[in-house]
Amino acid sequence: MAVTAMSSFVPRISRMAESPTLLRLLQLASPSLPVGAYSYSEGLEYAVHAGWIRDACGLRDWLRHGLLVGAAQLEAAVLVRVYDAWGVDDIGRLRDWDDWLSATRETEELRNQSHDMGRALLRLLRDLEPTLPHATELFATACNFTTAFGIAAAHWAIARDDATIGYLQSWVANLVGAGVKLIPLGQTAGQQLLWDLQDNIACAAHIAQRLPDEDLGVSNWGLALASMAHETQYSRLFRS
Amino acid sequence: MASPGGCTAETACIWRGQLDLGFARQGERTALVERRAHMPLAIQRPFYPEGPQICHVLVLHPPGGMVGGDRLEIDLDLKLGAQALLTTPSAGKWYRSARRQALQQIHARLADDAHLEWLPQETIVFDGAYVRQSQHVELAPRATWLGWDITRFGRSARNERFLTGEWRNFTEVWRDGRPLWIDRQRIAGGDRLFDATYGLAGQPVVGSLVWLGQPVVAAVIEAARAAWRASPRSGEAGVTRLTQGMLCRYRGPSSAEARQWFGEVWDLLRQTFRARPACSPRIWNT
Repeated sequence: MAVTAMSSFVPRISRMAESPTLLRLLQLASPSLPVGAYSYSEGLEYAVHAGWIRDACGLRDWLRHGLLVGAAQLEAAVLVRVYDAWGVDDIGRLRDWDDWLSATRETEELRNQSHDMGRALLRLLRDLEPTLPHATELFATACNFTTAFGIAAAHWAIARDDATIGYLQSWVANLVGAGVKLIPLGQTAGQQLLWDLQDNIACAAHIAQRLPDEDLGVSNWGLALASMAHETQYSRLFRS
Repeated sequence: MASPGGCTAETACIWRGQLDLGFARQGERTALVERRAHMPLAIQRPFYPEGPQICHVLVLHPPGGMVGGDRLEIDLDLKLGAQALLTTPSAGKWYRSARRQALQQIHARLADDAHLEWLPQETIVFDGAYVRQSQHVELAPRATWLGWDITRFGRSARNERFLTGEWRNFTEVWRDGRPLWIDRQRIAGGDRLFDATYGLAGQPVVGSLVWLGQPVVAAVIEAARAAWRASPRSGEAGVTRLTQGMLCRYRGPSSAEARQWFGEVWDLLRQTFRARPACSPRIWNT
């Protein structure tokens, strides 16, 4: 009996060792990734303050639009482009897309957030991978979080569509966490939201793999107005 | 494909308009040194209501509206130190079309020290319109650009909503081959975003004002916010800093309210960066 148990246990370990990319993705997309994501609400704090979002249903709508037609969709599409550029070692093209993404940032706070988190992830990546190519070049200018995530995913050979899903899921999880504090909602309601948004996350990731450059675009007037207002909001839990 | 400015049998009338304007500094004066206009685009004689430095031009589009298949291209070239203000005599209209896009492309190149103000009157997007507007601006090192656009979805005065069609309004401003500002707004007719707080929150009008080319200090951002707060308003608005400029956004019920505030911000930017007040074209009051 003991021998049988051992023999069924050992192969399971080796199967896991064969797919280290799943472990890498879990680490990269984890809420414990030390880039400070939890300290930002991306306009949510003002949207709740102003009464635009009052309950789980309102938060679900806000996040769904962000995924399908808003900032997160655009970021996912750029993530795909950065991933491909890193894959063929085209740092010029990677930089161009990073500049492009910076130029689409509608508010100072969204731009600063992305650059701060991007810098933090690049630093972490360099600490974990001291031989990371192009490090000097990458640290020479600002780098968006999306770009750093794309570099990490490509460098760690995580499949592109998995990486996109991981990116979007961690984005949603972070904002659900912010919403749970702000609205406030119970932890179970937060988990229910994450559950309900799974199809939207998959759909947004799917669109991002295929969106042609000329169709890159957003409709997020509410996000821009909320983030602008948040920059001067008097009493806040979340950073600008 | 229609011939330039011509009509075809199967569609009412398809226009391919083109307008090329070149501005150059001649001493104190900004002269209009190049003008080529193909109907239906035209301009009136340039005028100088605030002295010779700034050349004002009214861009005319006599049909008054765009239908599917129409294509307008405007090319603006501002030489060293030239300063120009362009506006339109009335609201622009994008009519319903049978799933055919209408296209307006603006391309502007600004040489060193040139300054362009692109201040069109509001645009009304009829239900069923397929709109593609794009604006591409290239700035030399010390050039600056101010642009605004105010868009009304549906003829809201008669309770029309934008239920079918598509609207795209892409603006890009570049310097030295790098983008300073990329704004790619798009929305499909009937999208739930029209009512969602993430989108238009049920309001028919959106507007943007963008100033680019020079960093803006926090005090100017605050002054633009204060200008909004100074009057009772019915819409919502915000201001933020761009790396080389400033952005204002509006959503609300009134294009007049958006333009009123944009005018105040324009004046603020003029006073701050050009040491002169704004000078509203008289056509706006007619």
